[in-house]
Amino acid sequence: MNSLLRRLLSQPWVWSYLGALLVWLAAIVFTHGYGAGGMISAGLALAVFSVITGVAQMFVITLGPGNVDLSLPANIGLASAVAMKVMGGSDSLIALGLGAALVSGIGIGVGNYLLIWLLRIPPIIATLSASFIIQSIGISYGRGLQIKPPPGFAEFTTVQLAGVPLLAIGTVVLTLGFAVLLHRTIYGRSVLAIGQNPRAAWLAGIAVERTRCFTYLLSGALGGICGALLAGYFRGSSLDIGDEYLLASIALVVIGGTSVSGGKANVTGLWGAGLFLVLLLTMLNTFGVSAGIRYVVTGLVIIGVIVAAGGEKAR
Amino acid sequence: MNKTPCVAALLAAVTSVALIGSAHADTKSMRIAFSNNYAGNSWRQAMLKSYDIVTKKAVADGIVAAADVFTTADKEVPTQAAQIQNLILQGYNAIVINASSPDALNGAIKQATDAGIVVVSFDGIVTEPSAWRVVVDFKDYGKQEVVQLAKWVKGGNLLEIRGLAGTSIDDAIHSGIAEGVKEHPEFKIVNSVEGDWDQTTAQKAIATVLPSLPEIVGIVDQGGDGYGAAQAFAAAGRKEPTIIMGNRQDELEWWKEQKAKNGYTTWSASIAPGVSTLAFWVAQQILDGHKDIPHDLLVPYLSFDQDNFEAALATIPKGGVASHEYTLEEAKQAIANNLKH
Repeated sequence: MNSLLRRLLSQPWVWSYLGALLVWLAAIVFTHGYGAGGMISAGLALAVFSVITGVAQMFVITLGPGNVDLSLPANIGLASAVAMKVMGGSDSLIALGLGAALVSGIGIGVGNYLLIWLLRIPPIIATLSASFIIQSIGISYGRGLQIKPPPGFAEFTTVQLAGVPLLAIGTVVLTLGFAVLLHRTIYGRSVLAIGQNPRAAWLAGIAVERTRCFTYLLSGALGGICGALLAGYFRGSSLDIGDEYLLASIALVVIGGTSVSGGKANVTGLWGAGLFLVLLLTMLNTFGVSAGIRYVVTGLVIIGVIVAAGGEKAR
Repeated sequence: MNKTPCVAALLAAVTSVALIGSAHADTKSMRIAFSNNYAGNSWRQAMLKSYDIVTKKAVADGIVAAADVFTTADKEVPTQAAQIQNLILQGYNAIVINASSPDALNGAIKQATDAGIVVVSFDGIVTEPSAWRVVVDFKDYGKQEVVQLAKWVKGGNLLEIRGLAGTSIDDAIHSGIAEGVKEHPEFKIVNSVEGDWDQTTAQKAIATVLPSLPEIVGIVDQGGDGYGAAQAFAAAGRKEPTIIMGNRQDELEWWKEQKAKNGYTTWSASIAPGVSTLAFWVAQQILDGHKDIPHDLLVPYLSFDQDNFEAALATIPKGGVASHEYTLEEAKQAIANNLKH
């Protein structure tokens, strides 16, 4: 029993779930239990988007030092506009709009990889400069206007089954798929191997460049899908709809127990970290603290969780 | 290197002539630049569009020589500071600015005014004393929200949505709302969340607090967040309270739907994006020799009620925001109103 507990605690993802549980308990103690279920329900619905971007960022970061996708927010913003424009408010064009968002995202992934591979620009710079270009495209394409989703698509993004958002169930299935992709396929193993030592991976016969290319494509595609879903959930596209997901995606990866230096990924922790961040916001909003205090507490708590998780690993 | 004092001397000479003679300085050969730090949302797009319409005509009519718009790629202060320095070097006579920070740009603004350039800020204003500020009476706007609400809601719990933390606008509207609640003690603000004038942020923030909130009768906010508030209530399966709107097309459209369905009553107000055109005329008037224009100009906000919002809605582009473009005459009137008190 004791050894089981110790094994559980040595898992890097446990801390994010413990953190989520703790802030949720703090919030419901404050309200004397009122709204406990609603908080979880809202938490799940909002965590979906950061988990999707977290998966994208996790694959990229796992490729090893220097790999990060900073173009996700711009990608999400553009994809949200593309999806809503193609759907044009008509339920019959939902699939086409989702496809367009996916193509837009993959296109951005291709662009990112070309900058990194052809021009040999470090990924941080490449994806950051790409995001300026994407933003400009987005501004001239969407003219900053909010385009509404078709009623059917909007309904789909918010519908709940017994208090559990359908989108959250779908995303859990999706993340399970990505866990299999990461741990059980040649591609996933290649990502991990490259992250541990790209030269050794190359010598072992792994198609390093192809794997890197696919990873940036994957990140772009997930950003595109996330953009379309966000536009549905928030009832309208907007270019800065993805702004918060740059920091959120990286925070999720780190808090969720994935190694920032690459080579070690954790899918399970993404959900814990996603719920933790949303419920932390829920708790602070419920307490009604001012914006300044909220930022300070959020920062301190994130540092605390990372230190707690990291401290266990060092032993 | 010695260009700056030269320009200053020239402008000083021009203005002293203007002040002595009854005839105004001619602005026909003068160039006005617009330094803008963001273009990514509907409000800013409407602001640019209004500015474009009015200044194109002003240039065509020969009132000014040029009215160029410069938008920075990001919302960062250093980028805009560098941009202002470029505008100084390019020799513009005036700079109209929507600033990324009320005080961080003051150094660059001071350089411009020292070089004799007229700087007029609006929306995102600058605190540098030598610059002009076109400010909307945000405090009254906040107070009116509660006053209007009290007309048809008997009283109860209110939820407040705040704007971008740390900005002067957020503080002003918030203090106005607080004053309104003081005058109408039948209302009680039970919680406040940060919506950043943004539908998505507001919806998300409300979704997180809604489970813990008692019955809410009204939402007092800062514009741009009303539609998101309605969506958050709908998503949680709760009846939407009376939400004060902020002149956005989607907000007014939603209001219209609700009004048709159940007679939903509310009030809508916001700073009109076309205030950019007022700032332009103020800059033109100062260049024209009207040095007596006060450095802080208070202008009214744009508001709609139950009877006239639908007419306004018809003129707003889909996804846009209600605007009002100032003519030179209206600008002169707005300036005159400030000279009175």
